[in-house]
Amino acid sequence: MTCKLLAVEQLSIGLPAYADRAQAVSKVSFSLGEGEILCVVGESGSGKSMIANSIMGLLSKELPVLGGRIELQGIDLLNQTPAQLRILRGSRMGMVFQEPMAALNPLMRIGDQIAEVFQVHGIACSQERVADLLRAVNLPDPEVLVRVYPHMLSGGQRQRVVIAMAIALEPSLLIADEPTTALDVTTQAQILKLIRDIQRRRNTGVLFITHDFGVVREIADRVIVMKDGELVEHGSADDVLERPLHDYTKKLLAAVPRPNMDAPRPRADRAILQASGLRKTYWRGSKEVAALNDISLDLRKGETIGLVGESGSGKSTLARTIVNLVTPDSGEIRFEGTDLRSLSRKQWKPFRKRIQFLFQDPFESLDPRRTVGDIISDGPIAHGTSAAEARAIAREKLQLVGLDPSAVVRWPHEFSGGQRQRIGIARALAMNAELLIADEPVSALDVSVQAQILDLLEGLRDKLGLSMLFITHDMRVAAQICDRIAVMKLGEIVEEAPARELLSNPQHPYTRMLIASVPGLAAGSVVGSAMETS
Amino acid sequence: MRSFIRRYPRMVIGASIILAVICLAIAAPILFPFSPWEMRGAPFEPPGSPGFILGSDALGRDIAAGLAHGTWVSLLIGGVSTLASLGIGISLGALAGYVGGRVDDAVMRFAEFFQTIPSFLLAILLVAIFRPSIFSIITAIALVSWPPVARVVRAEFLSLRKREFVQAAEVLGVSHFRIVWQTLLPNALPPVIVLGSLMVANAVLTESALSFLGLGDANWMSWGFLVGSGRSVIRIGWWISVLPGVAIVITVLGLNLLGEGLQTWLNPRLSKRDLP
Repeated sequence: MTCKLLAVEQLSIGLPAYADRAQAVSKVSFSLGEGEILCVVGESGSGKSMIANSIMGLLSKELPVLGGRIELQGIDLLNQTPAQLRILRGSRMGMVFQEPMAALNPLMRIGDQIAEVFQVHGIACSQERVADLLRAVNLPDPEVLVRVYPHMLSGGQRQRVVIAMAIALEPSLLIADEPTTALDVTTQAQILKLIRDIQRRRNTGVLFITHDFGVVREIADRVIVMKDGELVEHGSADDVLERPLHDYTKKLLAAVPRPNMDAPRPRADRAILQASGLRKTYWRGSKEVAALNDISLDLRKGETIGLVGESGSGKSTLARTIVNLVTPDSGEIRFEGTDLRSLSRKQWKPFRKRIQFLFQDPFESLDPRRTVGDIISDGPIAHGTSAAEARAIAREKLQLVGLDPSAVVRWPHEFSGGQRQRIGIARALAMNAELLIADEPVSALDVSVQAQILDLLEGLRDKLGLSMLFITHDMRVAAQICDRIAVMKLGEIVEEAPARELLSNPQHPYTRMLIASVPGLAAGSVVGSAMETS
Repeated sequence: MRSFIRRYPRMVIGASIILAVICLAIAAPILFPFSPWEMRGAPFEPPGSPGFILGSDALGRDIAAGLAHGTWVSLLIGGVSTLASLGIGISLGALAGYVGGRVDDAVMRFAEFFQTIPSFLLAILLVAIFRPSIFSIITAIALVSWPPVARVVRAEFLSLRKREFVQAAEVLGVSHFRIVWQTLLPNALPPVIVLGSLMVANAVLTESALSFLGLGDANWMSWGFLVGSGRSVIRIGWWISVLPGVAIVITVLGLNLLGEGLQTWLNPRLSKRDLP
């Protein structure tokens, strides 16, 4: 190992009294060498971001450091005055945040924001220097870019600007807190490559925080795994990923979605949902944006089609069009032969029972002011079931999704994200739907919970003979649960094929790029090896 | 309970004041079992004179009795006119926010029509046209104070409609009426409740101002009337105007404190109530 850059010893961080555990981080020790990339992996609430914030001195007062030491190149970071810390931030250590839009000042031009980094450290800053930095993070036309505002850039470009600011003073430590989580997968691949380049070129030590093992595989030299504030495993990337020792690490690795290796299920002849020539355009200011551009889709009985695409590809619009939450400009949607578009609200109602929708955000999709029982009973009651009977249905469906039937009297906020998504599934199945439109149902969940929900959906699909349109941005998830995959880009389906065929032999260049961008794939790993053989 | 007081002191003080005012209104016929218009003794008796704890006015009427009985009018007009304007405002706001499009435009232009006219002038005009009575005062106050309610409800509905749990109800086939009634309204209500408590204060003030100008209901003793009747003799009997004025100030202050307290209590972002 190279020279030691950062040493964290027995670090403990407290939590306010109302929290579910005593310490956010307890007795965590690790070190980071120069030019090394250390990944901190864990699920939400594991305390991984607390470690980053404590190094930067950004912890709020409610989260006091209870003990331990943090040393950066021999400087004891926990015993610095705020003024001393301010000097160290930027010059010795830089930080990249998850949400690039929130990390940039929306009222300040890009050039001025970068120049500010130099100014606060009392360093003269020339136009030339800012332009060099923008070039270093592979942004084109620095002369133009310095004059634009953050909202005019894409998410990936914004994150590059944030990285440029973090490395402006050539810090020896770069902390990246989920820097690619808010980005599309192809952009993520580029940002990961950029961070890797910077680390090689400048010999920067990188502390990289992530929840995604694919990303770990892509970038890490060494890995620490966090669980409930404790460090459970520590080792080289190869060791942790290939030969995990701790049960929790094994569980997390097993939860990473992987392509279904079973024999493909036979395709039914009967179509349940057919869409053709669907078009929808939005006006964004004076610009016309095609959300759906001549979309055609053929979903057979009992089949699951995955709709994969990046943000803005129109996949959610398509899902919402099918359940009439969005009205298309033209085209046809047939459900078992009936044209849904020509129906009035009243004529639509019988189809509401048969076509159901599963929402992305389990914290947004349940009414916070009503009990779980009331929420699930809504559908049956709307279709004429008596309240008592609907209540019985609610209990039965809760059991079906693996929750205790007594949950009917409880409130949504009493449940965790995964449990809430189960409640959402129970609501969608309360009227025995035949077609389930699932709009990113696992994207907001931790990887182990995500695996449970995917298993549940798969089980229910087989048990109830559900047909599914499964919308996701994650090729790995689609590969696990879908029979066929349709790839969407800018309102068009560019390729549609059986899942296995699409993964092993992608035809369209965009599909190839998407698959190549799946983190962990290039390095050949848990995810990659399985996907390559499929 | 003690921690509740410590956390929301304004709301507790406000609620106590309003409770005391309500008690005074209920106790008025027991404490002063005679008409407040009745002449009970010599005029211009200062507060503390025998028989007149708060003094008497230019006609020898008991100020204390007037204050106690006047409480009724303030509370009645404040409460009923606020309920009426909440009714108008919530219905129109819900309609505009839920239906949207042209209906929304029409309702909002209609609301703007009321908002561009100074509301107190409009209230005077309405009461003058209808002839002063408790009913016309309530109507006038309700008619001039609904637009802010409609605006708040409309804004809440517009943002709630985009929320996933409302779309979920839509996808389940729940009727328009039930979506509005059981999903949208309960979630839109907290800011309206806060607004309502502030509107009661405003109604009390408007009623007092109308009575002060002589546009009150002549059958009911009211605080505004007392202030107005003492206006011309303020050098001789300051208490005739000042004491009812103090009563108005305290009541309005109580309502405002209650409203502010409700705001912090009902808004999870401002209160720590939701933390486990």
